[in-house]
Amino acid sequence: MTRHRYAAALTAALISFVFVAPGTLLAADKINYRLKWLFNTSVVGDLYADVQGDFADAGLAVTVKSGGPERDAIKELELGQAQFGVASADQVIRALDKGAPVVVIAQLFQVNPLQWIYRQSAPPINDLSDLKGRTIGVTFGGNDETVMRTLLAKAGLETSDVKLFNVRYDYTPFYRGQVDIWPVYRNTQGIVIGRKMQADDDPVRFFIPAGFGVKFVANSVVTSRKMIQREPDTVRRFIRALLCGWEKALDPDNSEKALDMLQQYDRDTPRELLEAQLAITRTLVKPTPDLAIGTIDVAAWKQTEAIMRDQKQIAQPVGVEKALHSEFAF
Amino acid sequence: MLPRRIVQFLIIYFLGLAGLLAVKYGLQLSNYVIPGPALIWQTFQAEAVRYLRDVLDTMSIAIIGQVLSICLALLVGIVGRQTTWFGSFVKVAAYNVQAYPIVALAPIIFILLGDGFLSRLLIAAMICYFPLLLSVLGIMAEPIRDIEHFYRMTGRMRWQLEVKIRAFENLGKLTTVVAGSATLAMAGTIVAEFIAANAGIGYSIRIALYQSDLGKILIALFLIGISLSVYQGLLEWCGAFIRRTWESN
Repeated sequence: MTRHRYAAALTAALISFVFVAPGTLLAADKINYRLKWLFNTSVVGDLYADVQGDFADAGLAVTVKSGGPERDAIKELELGQAQFGVASADQVIRALDKGAPVVVIAQLFQVNPLQWIYRQSAPPINDLSDLKGRTIGVTFGGNDETVMRTLLAKAGLETSDVKLFNVRYDYTPFYRGQVDIWPVYRNTQGIVIGRKMQADDDPVRFFIPAGFGVKFVANSVVTSRKMIQREPDTVRRFIRALLCGWEKALDPDNSEKALDMLQQYDRDTPRELLEAQLAITRTLVKPTPDLAIGTIDVAAWKQTEAIMRDQKQIAQPVGVEKALHSEFAF
Repeated sequence: MLPRRIVQFLIIYFLGLAGLLAVKYGLQLSNYVIPGPALIWQTFQAEAVRYLRDVLDTMSIAIIGQVLSICLALLVGIVGRQTTWFGSFVKVAAYNVQAYPIVALAPIIFILLGDGFLSRLLIAAMICYFPLLLSVLGIMAEPIRDIEHFYRMTGRMRWQLEVKIRAFENLGKLTTVVAGSATLAMAGTIVAEFIAANAGIGYSIRIALYQSDLGKILIALFLIGISLSVYQGLLEWCGAFIRRTWESN
């Protein structure tokens, strides 16, 4: 009898978790915005829109949540834990491949900050064939591996023509010269490592995949299909407030205000470094003055999908262009 | 013993999987959040052989790590069983070493030893060593009064005999602890691989996580669980065999 009671209680708990919990999640009044990564210069516009009141001015109560390796904004959208989020293009395309109802409403980075750092004392990489014979750092399974394999294929190089080195958080193999070129986020780690090496009289260069025709889209703002169908006005107000925050954060006239704010969120990075990071971020998010922040580069998205198909990371074409909805932002 | 362990694992695994699928269909989630049965099966067919090799690789390191831990725990347990100053010093030192979280120590270990075999082995041993030590200390510090009294009175007691008596009288407990520590050794090796190694199932799980592929992770968990159940079943069988042999002598 007692056993039956336990079984009944367990079943009831499971049923209530499955069928009651979603209601409470979806019924949230405030907006949760899940970022891709921790609070740093790469999210300066997101923070600016929040702190400087752009969201509030649009009548929205937005909670900006930091991301991290264990966070996935697309999953949170489906689970109703977030209404908007930031995801990289490869995440979006993988999600579409598995039937996730995700849409892209703005592209934050026009140039992918994922680049490779190498020593100035090493022969320059002017042509992709110059990669031959080098030891190249990649994060196996990460999008830098995808980008590098695409570059190698474009150069007509086999994997055996180079040495791929498994990259971790520790940069020692690059500092020691065991690895020739090392993947970094240009506007954050790139600045830190570059400065350190410059201080040791060992200046660096950056190898930029986009310069060789490989445009692999980085962070974009995503929401659910349900959200754009049911609450298009909220989507419009949110994305416009967000992009307004980005425009203001990257305006050189607002640099001091943006840096003051960043220092509150990223206490471990000295202001001087944050300043350099902000300057580089500006060139990646708004490479030309006439290009509006948030513009979706449809051709680059299609190329990203093609790259992922070539490398068998998705099973079938997903038609990513159908998931791109710039009409809410502009 | 062995079939029972495997059946128990299968019940737990499939109950967990059924719970996940209930959440998936209850919330109408896509395959990106929780893969459906067809996708899980497809992933199993594509990855099972490669993942099984990875699990065996991880398990080989875990077993060596566990053997090292058992030796070390026995050594420290035997010394620490004494109520002398040195015995208590060894115990305090052993406890304090364990106070440092492995995730904080791991980067140092990887810088010093690289991301190969030795680092994985050391971390596996460090994670499974402490619970083993606690049990061994508990067992070795507890006298079997009636038996030991006889040998003391007749002047035949040696430390080797004392250890033997206490081990024999607690063989059931020791076997359970050793079998249980296999889980910790495996978990330790997976943590090490996840943080920095270039091989093993922990490394494969890390890649699957990068790609948000829960299907691959479910397959990895299945293979880890089944391999561990077989290994623990074998350890228990060995314990029972040793006890029978000891008793017949």
